[in-house]
Amino acid sequence: MAVIPCPLVLKISGAKIVPQSNYHSGNSVKIKLLPNTETPIAIRKTPPIHGRANTPRPLQPIRFLHMAAQNVDSTDDRISRISSSIRVIPDFPKPGIMFQDITTLLLDPKAFKDTIDLFVERYKDQNINVVAGIEARGFIFGPPIALAIGAKFVPMRKPKKLPGEVISEEYSLEYGTDIMEMHVGAVQAGERALVVDDLIATGGTLSAAIRLLERVGVDVVECACVIELPELKGRNRLGDKPLFVLVT
Amino acid sequence: MFAAENGLRGDPRLKGISDAITVVPHFPKPGIMFQDITTLVSNPKAFKDTIDIFVDRYRDMDISVVAGVEARGFMFAPAIALAIGAKFIPLRKPGKLPGEVISEAYELEYGKDRLEMHVGAVQHGERALIIDDLVATGGTLSAATRLLERVGAVVVECACVIGLPEVKGRCRLDGKPLYMLVEPRKIENYTLQRCFVDSG
Repeated sequence: MAVIPCPLVLKISGAKIVPQSNYHSGNSVKIKLLPNTETPIAIRKTPPIHGRANTPRPLQPIRFLHMAAQNVDSTDDRISRISSSIRVIPDFPKPGIMFQDITTLLLDPKAFKDTIDLFVERYKDQNINVVAGIEARGFIFGPPIALAIGAKFVPMRKPKKLPGEVISEEYSLEYGTDIMEMHVGAVQAGERALVVDDLIATGGTLSAAIRLLERVGVDVVECACVIELPELKGRNRLGDKPLFVLVT
Repeated sequence: MFAAENGLRGDPRLKGISDAITVVPHFPKPGIMFQDITTLVSNPKAFKDTIDIFVDRYRDMDISVVAGVEARGFMFAPAIALAIGAKFIPLRKPGKLPGEVISEAYELEYGKDRLEMHVGAVQHGERALIIDDLVATGGTLSAATRLLERVGAVVVECACVIGLPEVKGRCRLDGKPLYMLVEPRKIENYTLQRCFVDSG
């Protein structure tokens, strides 16, 4: 998928237009409420790009042509439904951020099941021993995947939440740093692991989780997220680790 | 009520679940014997058995909502929701849920905290479960129950993996049935014996 230098991406979601934008765009966004819709659309005041009119780029579901359809809806149909079920909340947690809220996905049992199924289909024959989930939204997706593929679930937590002996890793935030912890002895050297979170933005959290696991000799096979914000280039902070996502 | 008193007496899965829980003394502070479920979720068989027991109990009860309490409740509730075809609703600490929320205060040992839920997540009349890893005083589960009832949901049951002594013998919490799988693990007391060895 081409990287388009367009900070504002509009997602087509049935009859609703749901805006998403780059955290760092700094463009002012005017929110307008359409009649008879619950969802605001954002109108960006910037010049056209490459001579084209400022038409929104629809959200592109990732095409998984290589994934065989099971006795279920096609992969594309499932991803469309997942994508549509995610809502965007403007100016959360602070002004300028368009927050990708997966709680609406969790309210749609079929979309939630399809989300887990898509990950399970990918990983079930990969000899994964460990699914590491990042607090707190990674705790929602990680355990069902772990249960379905017969792997351990290992929570990666904020400081002082895990009892007993832990190892910790510092990582950068937009302003300042934070710390992530994992239990000593939760994983063994040589085990094959996935790292799961709801969303990858800058990649700081995922890269801290990778470092924690690698410090104890674990082989991190892949990072798996429901959503990627590609403009933030989080993929580049994962070193040589591949990233698998369902929607961008 | 505990699972063993409610149809699962002698079920070997319960011993496996109890054995998979780790006791961490003096965490988060001296005197507390912390029941750590991370060793349960890292044991695939015991974790699966935990979810299966809850799913078997709730699959035919017309539950449309499974609410999980942040953060350890998030490790159990979604899997139950998925298996019974219900929605999963996260109940979160203040400021975490985006958009419009309602909140409910509850008592801690020292001070108060709040639990939040999204407006519009649950419809009037929906039948709900509330899941957490452990119940001690029941303060958190009571706040969760009040949140769901405020929007007109029917709380069918509160369910936890572990039930502490404060709730032992109780089948209900604030009028709602309470279901627990196991009691807390204890650390056996080893006494050091002086052996008088006969050198002869």
